[in-house]
Amino acid sequence: MKLEIKDYCVRCGMCEDLYPEVFHLNVPEDRIDIKYDEIPPELEEKALGAIADCAVGAIFKK
Amino acid sequence: MQNLKVDIVVMGSGGAGLTAAVTALDYGASVACFEKRPFQAGSVSNCAIGVTAVKNDPRYQAAAFNSIFNYTNYNGDPGVIKAWINNTWRILPFMDKVGAKYKLRAELPLEKVGKGEAGGFPPQTRIGDAYYMIGRGKGHGSAIVALQSRRYFEAHGGQFFVDTPIVDIFTEGGKVCGVLAKHNKTGEEYKVECKAVIVASGGFGNDREMIKKYIGHNYTDNNCSNGGDVLFNFFPTETMTGDGHKLCWKLGGAKGGMGINGHNLVPGPGIIGNTPWIAYDETRVMEEQPYFWVNKNGERFVDESQSSNHMAMGTSIARQPGKMGYIIYDDDTREYLETHGPDFEYFIFQAEHLHDIKGQFERLAKLGNEHAFMTDTLEELADKAGIDKEGLLKNVARYNYYCDQGRDGDFSKDPKFMRPVRKGPFYALRVFNAGYSTVGGIKVNGRMEVINDDGKPIPGLYSAGDCMVGELWGNPPVGGIGNYSHALGFGFTAADSACEYIGIKEEEL
Repeated sequence: MKLEIKDYCVRCGMCEDLYPEVFHLNVPEDRIDIKYDEIPPELEEKALGAIADCAVGAIFKK
Repeated sequence: MQNLKVDIVVMGSGGAGLTAAVTALDYGASVACFEKRPFQAGSVSNCAIGVTAVKNDPRYQAAAFNSIFNYTNYNGDPGVIKAWINNTWRILPFMDKVGAKYKLRAELPLEKVGKGEAGGFPPQTRIGDAYYMIGRGKGHGSAIVALQSRRYFEAHGGQFFVDTPIVDIFTEGGKVCGVLAKHNKTGEEYKVECKAVIVASGGFGNDREMIKKYIGHNYTDNNCSNGGDVLFNFFPTETMTGDGHKLCWKLGGAKGGMGINGHNLVPGPGIIGNTPWIAYDETRVMEEQPYFWVNKNGERFVDESQSSNHMAMGTSIARQPGKMGYIIYDDDTREYLETHGPDFEYFIFQAEHLHDIKGQFERLAKLGNEHAFMTDTLEELADKAGIDKEGLLKNVARYNYYCDQGRDGDFSKDPKFMRPVRKGPFYALRVFNAGYSTVGGIKVNGRMEVINDDGKPIPGLYSAGDCMVGELWGNPPVGGIGNYSHALGFGFTAADSACEYIGIKEEEL
C-alpha cells in the first residue's frame, strides 16, 4: 500500500498527532512527509485511519 | 515575468481573503487571489469549529452592537463593529453557495444577547446564533469551508495562485493600480494591473520583532524553552509575518491597535501537539478548571471561574510578573477530578472524568516538560516551580480560610468552585498567554478602507481579517478576538466596498 497527499492538504499536522508512526509535519518545507514509500503491513490500519480522519480528505491510497 | 490584468487582487486566502474573493467574483469582478503558502490557508485552515451569526433583524443587530461596543468600553470603531455584526447573516447563504455544511448549535433569544456561555470567549461576545461548521474526519469545519471556497472560486473563473506572496503594492496618483507577486520556489514574478487590492494577510505571530515592538511580548516556541512569554500555537507556520501590515503602512496606512487573541496554555512537550485540540492527555482539561491560580509571587490574580474564558485568562496572565501563572491542585481535588469529573468541560477536548492524574504528571516529567510539577509539600512546590514561598504559603492559608467560610473575600468567586489546597501531593501547571493569532495592525474604517493618520482612505486599498480586526476592539485591542465569524463578515464588507469603488456594484446608503 502506498499513500499520496493532495496539494490542498492544510498542513495542520493532525495526521502526525494521531499517527506519528506514518506521518511527519515538515515545518521548514511546509509539507507532510510520509515516512514509508510502501506502508508496512502492520501500519496499514493506521494509514487507513489517517485517510478517514484527515480534515480535508487530502490523504489517498495511491 | 507574467503580466496580468484583473479588477481586484486579494492578498491571502484565509477566511477573510477567500470570502472577499468569492463575493467579489459573484458581483462580476475579475479577481486574482495570491497565497503565500502552498495551499488555501490562513489561521482558520483547520482551526475554527463554529461561527456566530446575528439574525438579519435590526433588533438583534442593535442588541449585538450595544454589547460589543460596551465590551470594548467604547474604544472599538463603531463602523467596524457594525460591518461585522450586520453582515454575519450572510455567512449561512455563503456556506450554502460554496457547498459547506453547518448545523445550529444554539439559537440565541433577544434577551440573551451579550450574556451567557460563549465557548471560550467572553460572555459579552455571545451575540448571535451559534452554528457548527461540519468538518470531515477528526478535523474542524473551517478546513472544509476554506477548501470549498477555494474550489468555488476556481470553478467560477477566479485565478488562484499558491506559493506566491505579494511583495509590493503600487499606486498611481495616490490610487492603487497594481501588485507584484513572486513565486516562492520558481522565483517567477507576476505583475498584476488592478483597480483595488484587498489585504487579508492575517496576523504576525511569527514576526518576533513585531511582537516585541507592538505587543510587548517575547516570542517563544511550543515548549517555552527560550525564556519567552507568549507562544503562537495555532499551527507552526513560518509565514505569519505581517506582510500586509508592512505594505499598507508603506503606502501611508495608519497603524491600528495590535494585540493577541490570547488564551491560557501550558506548553509542551506532552501536552500540545500540532493540532491543539488533539490533546495528548487530560492535563489539557486541568488547565480549564476554576480552582486556585496564582502568579509567581504566590498571589491570586483573577476570579478563576473565568478559567474557560480564554481572553480573560490570557490577558490577566499577561499582566503578571514574568507573564505567567500557576494552577495548583491538592490531592483532594485530584481525587475529585477523577471521581466526580471536572467542573468545566474544555469545549474542544471533553472528558467526563480524569484518569490517573499522578501518572500523567509522571509521564510529563519523563518527557522533560518543565511546566508541570508534582511535589509532596507546598514548600517544595514553590522551590521547584519558582514561586515565592512566603507569598504562596500566605495566600494558600488565606484561600483555605475563604474556602472554609464559603465566601471568596478577594474575587467573590462562586463558592462551589472554592476547593482548598491542603493535602499533598500537590500538582501545579505553569500557564502562559498563548496566541490563537495576533489581532489587528492595519487601520480601516467601517467600509474596510485602509485609512491614513488623518482618517482618509487610500483609494483602492482595503483590508479584512486578523490584520485589521484590532479596530473592532479598540486600541490596544485588549481581550480582542479574531475568529471565523469576523473573517467572513469583514470579507463580505471588503468585497462590497471594493466592488462599489470599481463601479460594478451600487453603493448602499
